[in-house]
Amino acid sequence: MKEKEVIDVIEFKNIYKSFKEKHVLEDISFTINDGEFVCIIGPSGCGKTTALKMVNKLIRPTKGTILVNGKDISQENEIDLRRNIGYVIQQTGLFPHMTVRENIELIPKLKNKKDKHLIDKVKNVLNMVGLDPDEYMDKYPEQMSGGQQQRVGVARAFASEPDIILMDEPFSALDPITRSQLQDELLTLQANVQKTIVFVTHDMAEAIKLADRICIMSDGKIQQYDTPEQILKHPANDFVLNFVGKKRIWDSPELIKAHDIMIEEPIVCRHSLKCIKALNIMFNFRVDSLMVIDKDRHFMGVINAAQAALEENKSKRVSDVMNQNCVTVSSLESIVDVLNIAKEKDMYTIPVVDDGILSGLITKSTLVTTLSKKYDESEGE
Amino acid sequence: MSEFINYFIQNFSSILGLFAQHIQLTVLAILISIVIGVPLGILITYFKPSKKPVMAVANIIQAIPSMALLGFMIPLLGIGTKPAIVMVILYSLLPIIKNTVAGLDSINEETLEAAKGIGLTRLQVLYKVQIPLAAPVIMAGVRISAVSSVGLMTLAAFIGAGGLGYLVYAGIRTTNTDQILAGAIPACLLALLIDYIFSILERTVTPKSFQLSVKRSPIKDVIDKLIIVLTCFALAGSFIYTNMGTKSQSVTIKIGSMDFSEQETLNYMLKYLIEGNTDVAVEQALSLGSSSIVLDAINGGSIDMYVDYTGTIYGSILGLEPNSNVNEVYDTVKKEMQDRYQLTVLEPLGFNNTYTLAMRKDTAKKYNIETISDLCKVSKQLIFSPTLTFVERKDCLIGLQKTYPIKFKKIIPIDNSPRYTALESHECDVIDAYSTDGLLKKYDLKVLKDDKSFFLPYHAIPIINDRIQEECPEIITYINQLQNYLNEDVMVDLNYRVDELKQKPKDVAKDFLIKNQLIKE
Repeated sequence: MKEKEVIDVIEFKNIYKSFKEKHVLEDISFTINDGEFVCIIGPSGCGKTTALKMVNKLIRPTKGTILVNGKDISQENEIDLRRNIGYVIQQTGLFPHMTVRENIELIPKLKNKKDKHLIDKVKNVLNMVGLDPDEYMDKYPEQMSGGQQQRVGVARAFASEPDIILMDEPFSALDPITRSQLQDELLTLQANVQKTIVFVTHDMAEAIKLADRICIMSDGKIQQYDTPEQILKHPANDFVLNFVGKKRIWDSPELIKAHDIMIEEPIVCRHSLKCIKALNIMFNFRVDSLMVIDKDRHFMGVINAAQAALEENKSKRVSDVMNQNCVTVSSLESIVDVLNIAKEKDMYTIPVVDDGILSGLITKSTLVTTLSKKYDESEGE
Repeated sequence: MSEFINYFIQNFSSILGLFAQHIQLTVLAILISIVIGVPLGILITYFKPSKKPVMAVANIIQAIPSMALLGFMIPLLGIGTKPAIVMVILYSLLPIIKNTVAGLDSINEETLEAAKGIGLTRLQVLYKVQIPLAAPVIMAGVRISAVSSVGLMTLAAFIGAGGLGYLVYAGIRTTNTDQILAGAIPACLLALLIDYIFSILERTVTPKSFQLSVKRSPIKDVIDKLIIVLTCFALAGSFIYTNMGTKSQSVTIKIGSMDFSEQETLNYMLKYLIEGNTDVAVEQALSLGSSSIVLDAINGGSIDMYVDYTGTIYGSILGLEPNSNVNEVYDTVKKEMQDRYQLTVLEPLGFNNTYTLAMRKDTAKKYNIETISDLCKVSKQLIFSPTLTFVERKDCLIGLQKTYPIKFKKIIPIDNSPRYTALESHECDVIDAYSTDGLLKKYDLKVLKDDKSFFLPYHAIPIINDRIQEECPEIITYINQLQNYLNEDVMVDLNYRVDELKQKPKDVAKDFLIKNQLIKE
């Protein structure tokens, strides 16, 4: 399978911005790929909104270059640029004196006056955001709930068929349930249309839920720009650690994988070893079982102390007495899956095996240690 | 009340004419102030630094008394409709600019940013978002301006622009309540009507989404539409009405007059005399104000002729010391007007509207008084009630006491017409009077002869500009005829008919000319 070529749709090159004496952005460089959903996040005043508004030239950089689809936007006509970039802000972004239909039609009409299919387009985008066109098309924003208004805002951004959509805290004024619904719908929508979306938020949970990559900013600088998983597991610095919150990972436990918690060097023995020797190893390392492997580290099974001790013929080989039908997990399975398996099979010593090769081991104690972090880490500060 | 209705019916056509004129002036002023005010309001929200100075200027203009503003206009724009409209526009600007700015400022910043962000140009943001959203507030400002314009426009009458104010001020001068009401009531109704029309317009420009909670019956909407349509017709009608009857004639001149009824009668007299005997058409600029305002008007070219009084020009305009020599005064005035202003003073009209002293006939008979000298002998027993001005002026009481050995028992100053009532009720015995005042006849008073010629001569003199000399000198002959028919007694009678019998100046003037066969019937 040939990998799809990754294209930079948006590129910030050494962007500086200062308002009077205040530096808002300092040497910001990053790229956003085609079809990627990037969240920019940070405390208020960090420059995240400034960075977003530079993409459609609402704010111009003091220094530096921004490329959109490979072209330097300082050379581009701002009106054309904006008409090809969707822009969603809080619900006040809708024009209160226009109906839903007029709001959505506005830009497509300006772009192409004689579009006969405009009405179909309006209906289409309304359906996309889960609003019945016949019911809502002729309503005014005031007649709708906050969530519905925001859906219209999203629909308006999609109506002009842009490649890029900028969203500036679009859901922050909504109640948590509506917000969560809209987030889910946005994810579904994005899975279908694969637009490049830049989304500013101050809500880390929202960013983790939505983003392919998160750009964490503070004091006008990028602190970390990576996938949610990497940011949660490997915060680049104390700021990120504190901003993300140490326990944050427990909001998305599926991001904790088997390889993150396993014992990477479990005590092993070769399958050809005699049982008596295996017992010795267990005694020396104070464990009650051993992972059995071959010379290529292929996982063969598990031998535990009881099995080895019970065997009267101490010269029998491990391979003859070991348990071969034990449950294994792959290193990419999440802690949620591991716990489910453990509970289901009542097994608490679970080898981690990838492509037949032993990668590590999860034991009852590793699970307890990991789970206990959810509760004690916060007190550690 | 029935008197008022009678007055109203009798003068219906002239009231209607003034009403139409008032509507036109007001509508024109409102339209122009919208055209200036709204864009100005928009501009200063774009160029923030200009906001303060523009608002300050608008505020200052608002603070200037309207009469003063009108006064400033005359040297710049002359008299007539132009300065009246400009004044009303200046007053209307502030509410319109203020509300335009407030309306635009009230729009949510984020809405504007969204408009910009989705790719509207500046102009599109303005007319697709800002103006529709600010329209109700802007219209509210226009409504305030429009209503106050109706009231302000009554001042237009002072500078000859006509309108309903003419009736109000003419009524005040002649204490004719019916006339005041005939001007004030239509003005009031007009203000209410304009307020109502603008409330409809305000609703029309308010986005539907802001009116969702207001339920209106469809019948009301139909009524509103009907009123708008009727208004349009009425407006068109008023323009047609006032433009009817203006025929093209070879030469048109404009005669001005000061703000009292004698002047108005003379104005009509000159108009009919000229129009009845020549091809020259005459426009009128009635009730311009004091002598100096009318002089400004003729100097500015907005009128071509008016009637002044020798003493007024001699004292007030030329600033010369009182002089009771009739010929000397006339000659000086004639010469100086020519030298200073290139204006020609024609021959006197034949009457002297000077100060004089008057008393009840019974008192005069009792003491056998004919002249002021006769009065001096008994003055110690009499109470004198002059106007305040008379007391203070050198050429009045102060000089009088120097010329005549006069000493009253008591001097109680009373202003204007109430002193006639005081005289009648025996609260005083002697008053000052203008020698052509119609009240002299009304109260049947004895006018004392100024045997030592103390009072300045105030002979009525027509003053014309060079335009008349060049374009229609033939009218001068006709004007000069008047002196054969006019004198103080005739003028007192004419004034009496206007002020007391409430006859219309134009009828009185026409009647006089016909009787004396100066024009044909």
